[in-house]
Amino acid sequence: MDVAKNFPLVIILILFIGAFIMPLLKNKIYNKAFSLMTIGISSVLSLITLVYVNRYGTFLYRVGHWDSPWGIELSIGILEAIMSLLLTSVAFVISWYSVYTIEKEIKDNKVCFYYTLINILVGALLGIVYTNDLFNAFVFIEVSAIAACGIIVVKDKKENIKATLKYLILSSVGSGLVLMGIAFIYSITGNLNMTFINKELSQTFMAYENSILISLGLFTIGLGIKSAMYPLHVWLPDAHSNAPSTSSAMLSALVLKAYVIFYIKILYRMFGEEIISQFPILLFMVLILGSLGMIMGSILAILQKDIKRVIAYSSVAQMGYIFFGIGLGNTIGLVSTFFHILNHAIIKSALFLTVGSMIEKTGQKKLFALKGIGKEMPITLGLFTVSALSMVGIPILPGFISKFNFAIGSIKGGKSIFVVVILISSLLNALYYFPIVINGYFGEENLEGKVFKSKEKTIKELMPILVLIIAALILGASSNKIIEMISNGVEVF
Amino acid sequence: MKNSLILFPILFPQIAALIMGIIKFKNNKRRNIYIGTVIVLNLVFIIALLSTNQSMDFHLIKINNLLDIYFRIDKLGILFVLLASILWIFTAFYSFVYMPHEGKEKRFFLYFMLTLGVTVGIAFSGNLFTLYIFYEYLTLATFPLVIHSGSKEALRVGRKYLIYSFGGATLALLGIILIFTLTNSVTFMEFGILQGLTLDNKDLLLIIYMIMFIGFGVKAALVPLHSWLPAAMVAPTPVSSLLHAVAVVKSGIFALIRVSYFIFGSEVLYEIRGNYYISILVVLTILMGSLLALHQDNLKKRLAYSTVSQLGYILLGIVLLNEESLTGGLLHLVNHAVIKITLFFCVGAIYFMTEKKYINEIKGIGKEMPITMGCFAISAISLVGIPPTNGFVSKWYLALGGLEENKILFAVILLVSAMLTAGYLLPIVITAFFPGEEKKIIKKEPPLSMLIPIVTLTAIVVTLGLFPNIVLHLIEDIVKGIV
Repeated sequence: MDVAKNFPLVIILILFIGAFIMPLLKNKIYNKAFSLMTIGISSVLSLITLVYVNRYGTFLYRVGHWDSPWGIELSIGILEAIMSLLLTSVAFVISWYSVYTIEKEIKDNKVCFYYTLINILVGALLGIVYTNDLFNAFVFIEVSAIAACGIIVVKDKKENIKATLKYLILSSVGSGLVLMGIAFIYSITGNLNMTFINKELSQTFMAYENSILISLGLFTIGLGIKSAMYPLHVWLPDAHSNAPSTSSAMLSALVLKAYVIFYIKILYRMFGEEIISQFPILLFMVLILGSLGMIMGSILAILQKDIKRVIAYSSVAQMGYIFFGIGLGNTIGLVSTFFHILNHAIIKSALFLTVGSMIEKTGQKKLFALKGIGKEMPITLGLFTVSALSMVGIPILPGFISKFNFAIGSIKGGKSIFVVVILISSLLNALYYFPIVINGYFGEENLEGKVFKSKEKTIKELMPILVLIIAALILGASSNKIIEMISNGVEVF
Repeated sequence: MKNSLILFPILFPQIAALIMGIIKFKNNKRRNIYIGTVIVLNLVFIIALLSTNQSMDFHLIKINNLLDIYFRIDKLGILFVLLASILWIFTAFYSFVYMPHEGKEKRFFLYFMLTLGVTVGIAFSGNLFTLYIFYEYLTLATFPLVIHSGSKEALRVGRKYLIYSFGGATLALLGIILIFTLTNSVTFMEFGILQGLTLDNKDLLLIIYMIMFIGFGVKAALVPLHSWLPAAMVAPTPVSSLLHAVAVVKSGIFALIRVSYFIFGSEVLYEIRGNYYISILVVLTILMGSLLALHQDNLKKRLAYSTVSQLGYILLGIVLLNEESLTGGLLHLVNHAVIKITLFFCVGAIYFMTEKKYINEIKGIGKEMPITMGCFAISAISLVGIPPTNGFVSKWYLALGGLEENKILFAVILLVSAMLTAGYLLPIVITAFFPGEEKKIIKKEPPLSMLIPIVTLTAIVVTLGLFPNIVLHLIEDIVKGIV
């Protein structure tokens, strides 16, 4: 079974090599098949890795057999394995959906380019998740940023270019801050491997208190920009709402999450709990910004008139939950964060894909123009409704489970007052998701002149979304097992 | 696995509703037979279930002590479920005649049956969490009924209904989470689950109780959170009657009884003086409801405000925390349900036959529709509480409960409110029967199939007044177990 130890590297290599072979294949169909195949293989390998890690525990993998302070090291624990399974399988489903629709959103000659970028993006995100080396992580961050910009601009419209530039600039600022943070750490410890840095820091941190605080701040802000922590989210609504729907799904569900994982690694693997607890102000700030994001993201979403922007702002709110969990600073908060990452990745991609289908079939993206859509596309809106209910936190759907865990986490952490924030935020969620559903299905005026099922997509094309919804339901129903697994992972993190 | 049968009355109407959504019926008559059969069968099944075994419980999904979907049958649940199922049958038969003129019957009956299943779920919930789920689900299932007409006005009201209900449910959820962190359990137990807890944090408990009371109180139309209820009168009459009589407001009341007596327990509530603060809101509810009802010109709105006030009585019965008052409250829960549904059916019949919905339009209608208005008059008198009607019995017990607490104030409020009730209901009867001017009388009695539910319900009202012991024994039995 030891061959499984090679799989993380193999996954990254398959994706990257695949990306470079694809431009050589002239035919679109080959491209799609090839991209799906590589991502599919990597998700199977991720699954095997997860099983392996679950049985034999965390392992370190030396790339090219160089020992650790010199060579690059990958560190695969349960959490990394879960995340890589999530990233690859959600990316697979999104790509599966895009096979049917991508030509409708981007020009034919860009299709090959799009799939190349997707492969690079997924590979880079996996790299961020796996790596135990700071500089290696930085390289993957940059690669993923470029690829993410690519899948936004691939649509070739004026507003896409504008949104991409905005994203590119802010994202570069973020990477720059991260790089400076790395520089601080490197100058203190002389190491880039996180395990080694941790060893050095635990002995010498008293001497470098200010430098450490600064570098913590730099990492927080830098990665905060990249994963849309409120109020650093300004690039997100433009980028996510203008990109092709499949790209939006990819960006919102996966790209934001990888940086969070990296941030958690920096906090708990590199600095370690001991140092973090020296600076309570840091986690408190993250908690406050997370809470602000939960509330403000939802309020901003209520004010939007464009359906994709609503979903995009909802991502800001959901990222708020994720930072909230980190900010709680206890195990249960961290566990809830991981669970919420899973839940949000699945649900948000389902939301973006359903909304994408609506926009594709009606040609409208304004909320008022989408009234009565429930009569024309009942199944699509039905899938949207289930996802929306999960977002709002109707029990047994995964959204409720994660909110519930956040609530328990904040009470256990002695911050009961933040339960109110969670509840207000779920109410606000209801305020922008329900009108879409209600105006879609009900209302005499809304339904006038609409023909039942006239614009519904075929079952074949809806299959990927259905798979996502089923995955979400399974996630909710078997949440106790998954949470137990995550808790085991967090303990050995 | 025998205990899993408890799921049947919850799921059966819902599955039947979904099946109805899929298949197409040849004509309306067949569809009505199908619906009638489902609802009656459900009642038969519930009775069969209850007669075989009085105490059953079943865990559907258990994730941890809180996230646990757990059903249990107890006497309070039996009372609620029988009340709901029986009134549902009447409403169904009434709706068969009434709904065609509102249109979209298929959608109506789909959600109508769905709501029955949800209501049974509320009655059989064995812990707060399950109750909460069904409470939220109830909002979602009744929403399409409220906005049935689909007009702009209806959608606006629907939004109000959703915001109020979800706001309330969220507060309740906050309370549930807090309770859970204190006790690590939310299962309903007679005399409450907080017994063993050291009461050094009385303030916290008081806050939790207030939060939950206000949260669940939204559906029970507690003033000042009642305004969704009169607004929801845009719904078709059978919906209004159901919302008022059993499904929604009584679920709120039922949840409050569960919270007060099965989670906190009357002793703990005494300790933290939770009842004291709440009773101010309750008194306000009784008086405000009656006063607002006085100057409503729309018949349905007048009845809606009357519901607000009557619910106040039931809440009073809950918060006085003694046996008499709770007996009175539960009795009034039953009586008010039967009376109010009759009143709504009568008003609906008037609208159905003459398209009239304001009081000044119905002068002399008593002579045109003597049976309908006769039933209305009997029910109105019962609600006022003139002996020997059933309203009198429940108010008698409530007054006794108030006196037991040495609070004459409550008895006085009950009397004042009874006067006000007479003040807003009897003028309708008087205008209907004594128009003061002679008109040519044309008989406009509604069709027989509509009259039968009305007359039968009136007969039940009268019976409950003359022989209150039938229900009283059951209720006293319940009360002994929990106070």
